[in-house]
Amino acid sequence: MKFKDKHRFVRSNMKRNKTRVWMTILASTMGCAFLIMLASVGFAIHKTAVDDVMSYRLMNEIEIQNDNGPLVEEDVKKLQDIKNVKAVSRKKYVPASEMTLGEYTVYAEVNSVNMPSERKAGLQLEKGRMPKSKNEIIIGHHFAQELRKEMPENFTEGMSDEEAQKEMKKFAYDGDLLNQTLTYHMKVDNPDIKTETQIKTVQVKVVGIKEKPKKEWMTDSSVMITDDLHSEIMPLLTEIDPELKNSDDSYTSVRVYTSSAEDVKEVSEKIKDKGYLTYSVVSELKELNIYFTLFKAGLIFIGAIAVLIASIGIFNTMTMAVTERSQDIGIMKAIGATPKTIKRIFLLESGYIGLWGVGLGTILAYLISYGINFALPIIVEQFMNEKPPEDFILSYIPWSLTVIAVTICMSVTLLSGWRPAAKATTVDVLKALRRDV
Amino acid sequence: MITVRNLSYAFKIGKKEKENIVPVLHHVDLQVAEGEIVAIVGRSGSGKSTLLNLISGFIKSQTGDITIDGQQVSKLSESKWAEFRLEHLGFIFQSFQLIPSMTAFENVELPLVLKGVSEKERKDQTMKMLKKVGLEKYQSHYPGELSGGQQQRVSIARALILNPPLILADEPTGSLDSENEKELLNFIKELNEKDGITFLIITHDHEVASIAHRKVEIRDGYLREGSKLHEVQR
Repeated sequence: MKFKDKHRFVRSNMKRNKTRVWMTILASTMGCAFLIMLASVGFAIHKTAVDDVMSYRLMNEIEIQNDNGPLVEEDVKKLQDIKNVKAVSRKKYVPASEMTLGEYTVYAEVNSVNMPSERKAGLQLEKGRMPKSKNEIIIGHHFAQELRKEMPENFTEGMSDEEAQKEMKKFAYDGDLLNQTLTYHMKVDNPDIKTETQIKTVQVKVVGIKEKPKKEWMTDSSVMITDDLHSEIMPLLTEIDPELKNSDDSYTSVRVYTSSAEDVKEVSEKIKDKGYLTYSVVSELKELNIYFTLFKAGLIFIGAIAVLIASIGIFNTMTMAVTERSQDIGIMKAIGATPKTIKRIFLLESGYIGLWGVGLGTILAYLISYGINFALPIIVEQFMNEKPPEDFILSYIPWSLTVIAVTICMSVTLLSGWRPAAKATTVDVLKALRRDV
Repeated sequence: MITVRNLSYAFKIGKKEKENIVPVLHHVDLQVAEGEIVAIVGRSGSGKSTLLNLISGFIKSQTGDITIDGQQVSKLSESKWAEFRLEHLGFIFQSFQLIPSMTAFENVELPLVLKGVSEKERKDQTMKMLKKVGLEKYQSHYPGELSGGQQQRVSIARALILNPPLILADEPTGSLDSENEKELLNFIKELNEKDGITFLIITHDHEVASIAHRKVEIRDGYLREGSKLHEVQR
């Protein structure tokens, strides 16, 4: 018997009991949709957690520390020699933070960096270019809003945070800082040193502005200066504060960037072999993934129970179909239908019920998922007067979840149709012809 | 065409392990030649239907051999038996045994569907067969919308659609009136004479037995072919 004829046969049988078949399909649809929706919550929380971790760091970034004190240039050279290391980003903290532009002043976090290494590590600029000469600097995206005119004393007292922010903005610099020259004051944060002695300044030019941070709530008003400028100003600062003498050679932060995320594990091992401590997103994600995989497996297991319940409906429908059609089966067997043909017809029928259920269930789950993710922020804002966390989603259905759900639902469906189909093959021809079954 | 040797059969009746053995057939020997019409007659409960069911493969033989069209069938598996029936045997039943949810066309077409014949070829052959039995106008009627005679003709069309060399008929006129019975018997004779189809007919009706080339009587499960006591030459 050809597949096309089996299909025609099954279709006509299904049409005969439309209501019962559709009720069974509905049960399968609900079971499948429940499984996908439940697991999608786990997938969504996992995705949010991973995205959150990755928004702070890059996948190919390894943070390096040393047990025996701060890292120095010699350590950087050792790290650069490791295979698959793309760049070694290193920062030296500069203990002078005051910069001015006319009547505007800012107290920024200043670091000296190796500009070529930063570029290689993936530093992205919103405007401008990388520094080419000693006195050129790069500023953070929010630098301008921290560059303010002097505000009256206790200006923000009695104001809410939101009001204070709004009022302070009126004092902030509102022009374009690119290509502007700032005065960098050689002042150190040490109460024992008199202000009058800190009169030296250096002129620096803004040549680049960094990209806005990925998170809405993050601000970046830092300044990046060149190594050459660092070498020039550190003697000036040491003159003012001799205690700084020994700190000019050590790095406050060293990060290694590998050629690809796949190299992180191997490079981390090599760095550890050289006696350094390492930390990377990959290692954090590994632990996170183990935890969430177990969590998602638990949710899928619970969801599968709903599918199992729906499969009882399929079993029942197929058993009734076999009982009702026993005479037809007997006639077909008498004429020459093999048990295999009979079995396949009934398996096909349960398969179709399952397929409809899985198809409709998946579509329904996607619609509910989109609906929830669309409506959730509106509901939270309406009833709680608060915005939900940025990028938060309650339901996420990746293709892998769809594949898992379809596989579970179809397997359960076929298993539940197996016994009725096997029963159909055992119909006694003589009893069926005598209408005794 | 059919050779039955030393065939015995006993039904097991009652609960397992406490069942009663009821012998039905005893050492039956039967030969049916190609192109012959053989009627097996006997009283109710004599074992004639059991003999036909054994030859059809609907029940499995316990002892003895059955050979049909040169093939020993008594040891065939259920699947092989089904394939053999489809290829070699046609059936005419007393109660027609048509599938009620299928039209006359679909009932006749069913063996071709099971054999995997293409749709176009099926349509041609089925229409030809319905024409042969005079039911081309009733092709889209369901069995419930046809008279007993028409249903039996659909059943015959279905039995003939794959051109089997042997047709087994179990009380074929049992549900028909005298006019339809006469028509059916003429049709069987015509099929036998024109197409050379072999018929093995189970009946207790002398009218039906009268068209057979040989009449074999079965009594209390005993049948001895060739014996003048049990075999009456036409």
